Amino acid sequence: MYEFLQYRVQDAMTPEPIAISPKAKLREAEALFEIHDFNGVPVVDEQRRLIGILTKFDLLKAFSFDFHTLVPHYDQIMEQAIETVMTPYPASVEPQLPLSRLLQKMVEMRAKSLPVVEEGRLVGIIAREDVLKALRRAAIQHEAPIHEESRP
Amino acid sequence: MTTLLYTHPLCLEHDAGYGHPECPARLTAILNELKTGLFAALEWREAPEASLEQLTRIHAPKHVERIFARVPRHGHYAIDGDTVLSPQSGEAALRAAGAVCAAVDAVLKGEASNAFCAIRPPGHHAEPHQSMGFCLFNNAAIGAAHARAVHGLEQVAVIDFDVHHGNGTQAAFEAQRGYLYISTHQAYIYPGTGRREERGIGNIVNVPLPANAGSAELRQAWIEEIEPALRAFQPQLILISAGFDAHYLDPLAGLNFCEEDYDWLTAGILAIASEYCSGRVVSMLEGGYNLQALAASAAAHVKALIAGSPTA
Repeated sequence: MYEFLQYRVQDAMTPEPIAISPKAKLREAEALFEIHDFNGVPVVDEQRRLIGILTKFDLLKAFSFDFHTLVPHYDQIMEQAIETVMTPYPASVEPQLPLSRLLQKMVEMRAKSLPVVEEGRLVGIIAREDVLKALRRAAIQHEAPIHEESRP
Repeated sequence: MTTLLYTHPLCLEHDAGYGHPECPARLTAILNELKTGLFAALEWREAPEASLEQLTRIHAPKHVERIFARVPRHGHYAIDGDTVLSPQSGEAALRAAGAVCAAVDAVLKGEASNAFCAIRPPGHHAEPHQSMGFCLFNNAAIGAAHARAVHGLEQVAVIDFDVHHGNGTQAAFEAQRGYLYISTHQAYIYPGTGRREERGIGNIVNVPLPANAGSAELRQAWIEEIEPALRAFQPQLILISAGFDAHYLDPLAGLNFCEEDYDWLTAGILAIASEYCSGRVVSMLEGGYNLQALAASAAAHVKALIAGSPTA
């Protein structure tokens, strides 16, 4: 785990990730989810400033019972703009944040992924899978021998 | 005295389109259940058509005219995303409202102590000037107005245990003396009305329930709010908007009632009715979209109606 303590968010994140415009439709986000294994997609303006995140959970929420109709209509809902159902002002992290701190934050928030922002601009995204991979990498490099020696 | 069952084959002909949850099979499932030997005590009657006079006690004549003008010759006409007309929707709606008026007549004449109307389209979302939420005309409100206009009753109560709030019935009654509307429903779902603060002229009692509420919350609502409100009102007739979509297996909402709850609630309503109005109760079908759960729940409800019929 000592090695892991050295890692920063920028070492494990996906840099310059795919992002989507707030005016795009839910249909387009759904198409992205279909192709890629994203938990959520960052929503950015023309300057790639982070203004929201659209998760699969947000998409499901758009289909939950509300007072507009008795039965939700697929096509109608999929035509809505992303900004109407995204989570605005999402939590984000800086690239220099230690990965151990990011892990704590993820656990506390039960977040599946967090956008990485530098000076307001989206520079990456980091997911649970990325942190797991970093943990594995750190363990393989430095902790395997300790395990060996502790055997009787 | 017996329990009457009003229905009409035309109620099976209203068709809101392929896959629509408010489908003819709902009624078929209930009727098949009620045809079994357990329900031999039921006296089946064919529903007559409602008259224009009966409809316009609640609905604006222009609105009624407009709905009939929109009934398509072929295919479908969508009033909104939920509410769709087919060629025989107008006739079905007339039989639905007509069933309730005829049941009110029969019960008030003493031909039976209570009745169940197995009808569709449902009615409780239909407002005086607007059809919506699968509903064309407000069967319960039309029946209540009929009881007052024709039979001279002064106090008519409607209890609505459909999972959705009966905005239409509330809209029809909220400024009118002589009516009491009581509704249990899931909060924050369609149609968005039914908040506790909506009290009309003191004659509306809304009991919104949180998602996942079930038997315990229903019993609490009955003991603390519904039964006291009924007693204070001293009804001369009780109508029931019997929707069975608060059942735990229903796909359109999130409450957790079970069949026994409908039996329990019906028995409670009948006990109040026998105390205040010689057991006079007219119940009618509203929602309920899981066919098995619907048939079983409606059967439990009708069984309780038969059991509560004084000399049955």
